[in-house]
Amino acid sequence: MSRTGVLVLRLAGPLQSWGASSRFTRRTTESAPTKSGVVGLLAAAAGIERGDDTRLAPLAALRFGVRIDQPGTRIRDFHTAHHGVTGASMPLSERFYLADAVFVAVVEGDHALLTGLHDALRAPVYPPYLGRRSCPPSEPVDLGRYEDATLEDALTSAPWQASAWYRRRHRPPQTLTVLRETTTTESAESADVLRDQPVSFDAAHRRHALRTVVTTAVPTPLPAGDGSPHGTHDPFAALDDLENERA
Amino acid sequence: MFLSRFRVNTARPGARRLLSSPQAMHAAVMSSFPHILPSDSPQPDAPRVLWRLDQRARAEVLLYVVSPDRPDLTHLVEQAGWPAVAGPENPGWQTRPYAPLLDRLATGDRWAFRLTANPVHTVRRKEGEPRKLTAHLTPVHQMGWLLDEERQKRLGFRVCEKPADRRLLPDGTTHHKQPHPGDRYELAVQDTRSLAFDKSRGSGGRRDKSVIVVTVTFEGRLEVTDPAALRRTLTQGIGRARAYGCGLLTLAPVTQPTHAQP
Repeated sequence: MSRTGVLVLRLAGPLQSWGASSRFTRRTTESAPTKSGVVGLLAAAAGIERGDDTRLAPLAALRFGVRIDQPGTRIRDFHTAHHGVTGASMPLSERFYLADAVFVAVVEGDHALLTGLHDALRAPVYPPYLGRRSCPPSEPVDLGRYEDATLEDALTSAPWQASAWYRRRHRPPQTLTVLRETTTTESAESADVLRDQPVSFDAAHRRHALRTVVTTAVPTPLPAGDGSPHGTHDPFAALDDLENERA
Repeated sequence: MFLSRFRVNTARPGARRLLSSPQAMHAAVMSSFPHILPSDSPQPDAPRVLWRLDQRARAEVLLYVVSPDRPDLTHLVEQAGWPAVAGPENPGWQTRPYAPLLDRLATGDRWAFRLTANPVHTVRRKEGEPRKLTAHLTPVHQMGWLLDEERQKRLGFRVCEKPADRRLLPDGTTHHKQPHPGDRYELAVQDTRSLAFDKSRGSGGRRDKSVIVVTVTFEGRLEVTDPAALRRTLTQGIGRARAYGCGLLTLAPVTQPTHAQP
C-alpha cells in the first residue's frame, strides 16, 4: 500500500471567488474555497490541459478539506464590461467576491502524487489564482507537504493564518470552521451536498458531480509567526543556554 | 566583557530626550562607567562600549550595552526607567558576563544575529573631486555592504545561504541586470532610518550643522568562520557611527522555523 500524505495550501488574497452553483450572469461565491477551484489550481500548476480528464481524475480523487481562518467580507460587483477590441458592451453581470479572506486548504492522498503537485506549485506551468483569473494570491500558496498525516491532523494543527492586521483587531476565535469530506467510516448524516466535485474541466463541457461536505470546528491553533525574526531576537537567550548546559 | 539590557520607560520625558538624540544616549551610556573619563579617547583596537536600541513594540524599547566593565545604569533608571520598582535585588537593568559566550564561539557554529549598522561607502561624483562618504540607501546596497566578502572575512563570520528549495526568487537578477543578492541569504534588512540631530551648540549662538546618520538593522543567520575575529567584532563593533548606537552585533540561538506539524 502506498503511503498517504497531505499537501497544505494557504489561500489568501485581496479578492477570491469560489463559485459552486453559478449560472449565467449571476456569478456567486461560496464562503469557502470549493474543491473544483482548488483541484483546478493544482491541475493548472501541474500543467494539465483543460480537456485532459484522465490526468485530472487522480487529482479529483484526493480528499479535500478547508479551514476558514479569516472569513473576509462578501462584496458584489455590478459588472458593466465592454469588449476590449470592439468596444461592444458585454452582458451585464453580477459578480460576488470574498474580500480579505484567508483559508487553509488541505488535500489528502497518495504521497507520490502530492510530491509531484508540491513541486508543480513551486514552479507552476499556469500560475495559481483564487477561483477567478482576476484574483491572484497575495502570498505563496504552498504551506508544506507532510507524510503520513491525515487531513484532520493538518486542519487541526496548521498555524492560524489570519493576516497581521486581522490578528491585531480581532481576538483569536475559540474555534475555526472546517469544511471537509467525510472519512470512509464516518456516516454522512448531517452533511451538506455541494456540486463541486470536478469531473471534467473541458472548456466546452464542464462537469461537476455532487460531493458531501461536513461542517465541523477545530480549536484555533496558535498563529504562525509573521515569518520575520524581527522583534524576537534575544541576546540573553544565548547566555541562558550556556548556563543551562552547565547546570 | 558584559552584556546589559535596560528597558526604557517611554512615558517619561527623560526617555524622550534620550531616544530623540543619539548624542544624549551615548553620553548617558558612557556615564555608566566610572573608569571612563569624558576626556578618554578609546584605543583603536581595544574593546569598547557599544550600545543599540531595539524597539519591539511601540512602548517596548530595549537598550543593549556591551562593555568591558560592569555598567552602573542607575542614572538611566532614574531618568528613563522605573526607579520606584527598582530594589537591591533588581536594580532596574540586567547585566551578565559575556565571556562564557565569547569563549564558546567555534568555527562552524550557527547563530541568529541582529546588527544595527551605518553602511557607507565613498563616492567621487566627478573626476578630480575628493571621495566623499555616502550612505547606502537601498536594501540591495545595504545587504551588499554586509555581504561583501572582504568584510565578512574580517568580521569572522559568513551570512548563511538559504537552502535552494526555500528561495522564492532566483538569485542575481534585477530588471536592470544589476547584480543582486536576491533571496539567496538568510538576511533581512529592516528599519532604515535617518537620524538627524545636533551634535553641539557652537559658541556664539551659531548652531553647527546637524549630524545625519543612516542606520539599518540587519537580521539573519551567520556561520562562524574565524572565532577570534568574531570575538573582536562582538566587542569592538562593526562599521562607523559606533558612538551613535551602531555596530553592536548580538547573537541568539538559532531557532528552527516553526512549521505546521500535522
